[in-house]
Amino acid sequence: MITVEIRNLIKTFSETTAIDNLSLDIEKGKITGLIGADGAGKTTLIRLIIGLLLPDSGEVKTLDLNPFTQKSELTPKIGYMPQKFGLYEDLTVIENLWLYADLKNQPYEFDKMLEFTNLKQFQDRLAGALSGGMKQKLGLACALLGTPDFLVLDEPSVGVDPISRKDLMKMVRDLINPETTVLWSTAYLDEAHSFDTAVVLDKGKVIYNGRPHDLSSTSKGFEEKVIELMGGYKKEDSLIAENYKPISSDLNCTVEAVNLEKKYGNFYAVRNNSFCINRGEIFGLLGPNGAGKSTSFKMMCGLTSPTDGTAKIMGIDILENPEKARSNLGYMAQKFSLYGSLTVRQNLEFFAAAYGINFSDRKKRVDEIIHVFGFEDIQEQKSEDLSLGFKQRLSMACALIHNPPILFLDEPTSGVDVITRRDFWNHIISLAKKGVTILVTTHFMDEAEYCDRISLFYKGETIAVGTPDELKQKANADNMEDTFITLIKESEKE
Amino acid sequence: MIRESLRRIFALIKKEFITIWKDPKSRGVIIALPLLQLFVFANAITMEVKNIDMVVIDRDNSVESRELLSRFEHSPRFRKFYYVTEEKDFQKKLDTQSVQIGLYIDNDFSSSVKAQRPVDIMVAVDGRQTNSASIAGAYAAQIIGDYNNEITSSNGAKINVVVRNWFNPNLEYRWYILTVIVSMLALVITLLLTALSIARERELGTFDQLIVSPLSSFEILVGKTVPPLFIAMVLTSLMTLIVVAVFKVPFAGSVVLFLIAIFISLLSIVGVGLFISSICKTQQQAVLGVITFQTPAVLLSGFISPIEDMPVFLQYFTLLNPVRFFMLLTRGIFLKGMGFEDVFVNLIPLILIAMVTLTLASWTFKRNLD
Amino acid sequence: MKILRALIKKEFFQITRDPSSIIIAFILPLISILIYMYGINLDTVKVTMGIKNDDANPEVTTLVKSFGHSKYVNSIVYDNEDELAEAIIRSRLKGAVIIPNDFSTKISRGQTGEILIITDGSEVNTANYVQNYSMQIVNQWLMTGKYGGLAKKQIINPVMRVWYNQDLNSHYFILPGSIAITMTLIGILLTALVVAREWERGTMEAILSTSVRKIDIVLGKYIPYFVLGMLSMAFNVFMCVVVFKVPFRGSILMLFTVSGLFLFTSLGIGLLISSILKNQFLASQVSLGIAFLPALLLSGLMFPINSMPVFFQWLTRILPPRYFITFIESEFMAGTVWEIVIINSVFLTVLGLILFAAVYKKTDMRLVK
Repeated sequence: MITVEIRNLIKTFSETTAIDNLSLDIEKGKITGLIGADGAGKTTLIRLIIGLLLPDSGEVKTLDLNPFTQKSELTPKIGYMPQKFGLYEDLTVIENLWLYADLKNQPYEFDKMLEFTNLKQFQDRLAGALSGGMKQKLGLACALLGTPDFLVLDEPSVGVDPISRKDLMKMVRDLINPETTVLWSTAYLDEAHSFDTAVVLDKGKVIYNGRPHDLSSTSKGFEEKVIELMGGYKKEDSLIAENYKPISSDLNCTVEAVNLEKKYGNFYAVRNNSFCINRGEIFGLLGPNGAGKSTSFKMMCGLTSPTDGTAKIMGIDILENPEKARSNLGYMAQKFSLYGSLTVRQNLEFFAAAYGINFSDRKKRVDEIIHVFGFEDIQEQKSEDLSLGFKQRLSMACALIHNPPILFLDEPTSGVDVITRRDFWNHIISLAKKGVTILVTTHFMDEAEYCDRISLFYKGETIAVGTPDELKQKANADNMEDTFITLIKESEKE
Repeated sequence: MIRESLRRIFALIKKEFITIWKDPKSRGVIIALPLLQLFVFANAITMEVKNIDMVVIDRDNSVESRELLSRFEHSPRFRKFYYVTEEKDFQKKLDTQSVQIGLYIDNDFSSSVKAQRPVDIMVAVDGRQTNSASIAGAYAAQIIGDYNNEITSSNGAKINVVVRNWFNPNLEYRWYILTVIVSMLALVITLLLTALSIARERELGTFDQLIVSPLSSFEILVGKTVPPLFIAMVLTSLMTLIVVAVFKVPFAGSVVLFLIAIFISLLSIVGVGLFISSICKTQQQAVLGVITFQTPAVLLSGFISPIEDMPVFLQYFTLLNPVRFFMLLTRGIFLKGMGFEDVFVNLIPLILIAMVTLTLASWTFKRNLD
Repeated sequence: MKILRALIKKEFFQITRDPSSIIIAFILPLISILIYMYGINLDTVKVTMGIKNDDANPEVTTLVKSFGHSKYVNSIVYDNEDELAEAIIRSRLKGAVIIPNDFSTKISRGQTGEILIITDGSEVNTANYVQNYSMQIVNQWLMTGKYGGLAKKQIINPVMRVWYNQDLNSHYFILPGSIAITMTLIGILLTALVVAREWERGTMEAILSTSVRKIDIVLGKYIPYFVLGMLSMAFNVFMCVVVFKVPFRGSILMLFTVSGLFLFTSLGIGLLISSILKNQFLASQVSLGIAFLPALLLSGLMFPINSMPVFFQWLTRILPPRYFITFIESEFMAGTVWEIVIINSVFLTVLGLILFAAVYKKTDMRLVK
């Protein structure tokens, strides 16, 4: 039995070919993972399958219907969760559920769903005020309303912590029936490894379609195989790090948090947060969504003023002399925050100049960055038209453009494909070796292993600090994911 | 140090120009829309009431009454005449706005004129459009007055009023309205350019990125001020040029003074716009801010109703209104050839407004973060 | 129906969450009405004039005094002509009266006395007032004063009747007219961002993947803002009629029926902008750029449409406020006049339907990129 049948599908956008003569069958009752590099055409393919986009040519049959001509008959059978979750952030949890239940002609029976997602106590909270993990669960709950025959999830786990990801997986598996087909695009290969089928896309073509276990029995091995399929990753010396001119400094703590505290009313978003990061150290902030990582981050670079305590960058107090302190900083925000109407090159040129790189060096530096990040082909594209992964890369590139001695990276790799992630970390590690101090948050637990030290953050407080090995020992676990879950659960009990 | 600062400011200015200028739709809104509006308003708006339609009841139907009516018929201001006999038709024509004015001549008209005895003529105007109605009424009174002078046999003293209209000898309404429109369109566009700029960056998260960069508040302020100011200057000069070249309004004053005056005026409006933008978190709020500022600023600028006529507290309030001074200066220099001293006096409030709003804006950049 | 109801309910929740819609619907009208009420006055414009009297005859000083006594003129006596000229350039004076030294001599001989009136022509409106007031005062003085017997008599006396507004109170037409301007702004601003917002935030994508129909999306935007707009309309009327005591001679039912038609067109403009541009930044720029000035200047509230060149008279026919202003002023001041109601309603309905069709056509049910 086949849910989706695609034949010779072609879709182009002005200059680029997003889907290139693609044919694919998606089996009924299976969970199919859609993997691929940034810009491989995952989102476009998904939108074509459910009739949100029209193709240039080719045929698609979804649930025996033509999505391009029979969209209105098809949509009631589909549960779709788009990349931004499709939630109304100014409606409450329950109001969002009401809306989607009505749109799908379903009764207001959410008890089971609310129970399952732990959203019951938050049902009157605005969706915009939920943490990333909870938003994602609500988004999924809305997509699952009316038990669709075909559930389509576009990168549902971007920016979500390991616990929430596990919950999400469980939710999907428990709430669908054996007849339901699931199409799930993801950047997490461990997730994809657990699915029935994996489809790997590259440049708008299917380069692999089969059982993930046929490639490898372990998720680690699967990752290597996928990387191989996608053209392989050859670790090269980081050009960025090579070109980095280290700044000599005999400071012990290049980044220091001194009793940082942020209080909203009676609620502590961050409490009593102190740490000292040494020169050339990679310091990871880990924790579930909503634990206060981003708030700490914003206080560290002076975007939010702390209610108590302060932070020092290269020994300079961020409250007393913010401009001077920040000139040492490369900052990459969680949300894409570059100028959408500027091209890739213009964005880089702007940040190069904003950080005071003089005119003669600027072109060289921008060319260099474009080369290192592989932007040659897209340098004249508007940055708002880039795929999620390329946006992340561009943000990273802008943060690095001025050779800062300190880098603050807030979820730099969320939504980025596996090869690019490896490349990112190659640069990060090489830069750290050159003496760059790095503060980073991530939800990829394999990435946490790259950190020199980790601070585990929960409910506004640090619950553990140490090297990855120390933490694993403490939790008595053999990988970071279990360490994370164990330590959080322990602190929950206390 | 200064060179670095200039470099950063220049980068920001370049970026702003690209954002404003790159999108053809945005170019259309900023340049084509005001120019189009200038042409439409210039041609359409007039206070001279023309094409007046009139309903007449002539109960007298004599040589004298027809003579009076022929005066109306020959006046270029009056267009159509409806001669009716029933009062209810008279009423109906006015009710349905088929006419703006009605004339009622009673049956004792010719006999009174012949006997040189005073007689009334009723002129009914449509008070639903009080403005044009009273003007039309005045035209009618004038025609009647002229006729009066001819038929009155007695001689006597009278006063001849010689009117000299300075700066605009024929009282061409277009001269006046064009200078007003230039400043109003400049106001609208300048506010558009500035009021959304920071709010939009806040909403999209790019403002955080700016704050984290070494750009200081002052540098951001300069970078955010220069591009809209430049564009607004070019647009205002262009519109002024059109007013002089196409609409043939004589430019009486000094070009240099005019440029200085519009520069300072636009700077103060940029200040207001940036201040609105700096206190808004979303574009929707900024739009709201613009409307809340723009509506009173235009209505209370003295253009629609003279400032001297407002209640005293409102008169003081208009001292905070940059549009008031902006219009006074453009009109003053353009039509009246205002000199340096007078221009300077009117620039002072604008400079103060600009200083206060720009300072507040740059101060708010860094506050209002949570 | 269920889907439409859900979309409407959702929109209402969003309205209650976001204070800006409420501010647009109720605070904006409040501010406008206060301004039009207290800041704008079109009937008794008071002008400041300079007077220079070169005639030493004491009888002429009574003329100077009658300028001082007029409630329309604020007079300042000058001795020096240069100072007078300077004051006009500086806009301190709107005009001046100069009485030459042979004025009374000529009049007492039954001849024509000359008086010079200077106006500041750069402000055409006030220049006209200066001219008319001065003539009235001078003639009045001649008829009633010492020289009254010598004056030439007038036989025909035009009696001015201002129908529908006997008190000549300009607020009686300005306030209802201002409602039309405000409602144009409200209609456009309320809706200009709402569709663009859904595209930008990605909620449109989610909605489109459910079984909504095009008509649900379109009506789901029209209906809630129509209701909010009508509430705002009621608030406007309440302020005008109850608080500021503007006489209302028409029928409330008729007023709200035609207001509904008008709101239908305004909302259409906003929704059309929003659906075409799908971008909040551009949508707000366009709506701010077109909503305010044309409604204020071309709708006939301030400037007579009849006096415009024919082409521009036709152009004003695409402006919904034009019809609404004609209707609302007439409804307030003259009561229901069927001809006026019908013709303006027909135009509003046609415009509204065209806009509705355009919005429907521009509502995409699929993504473009």
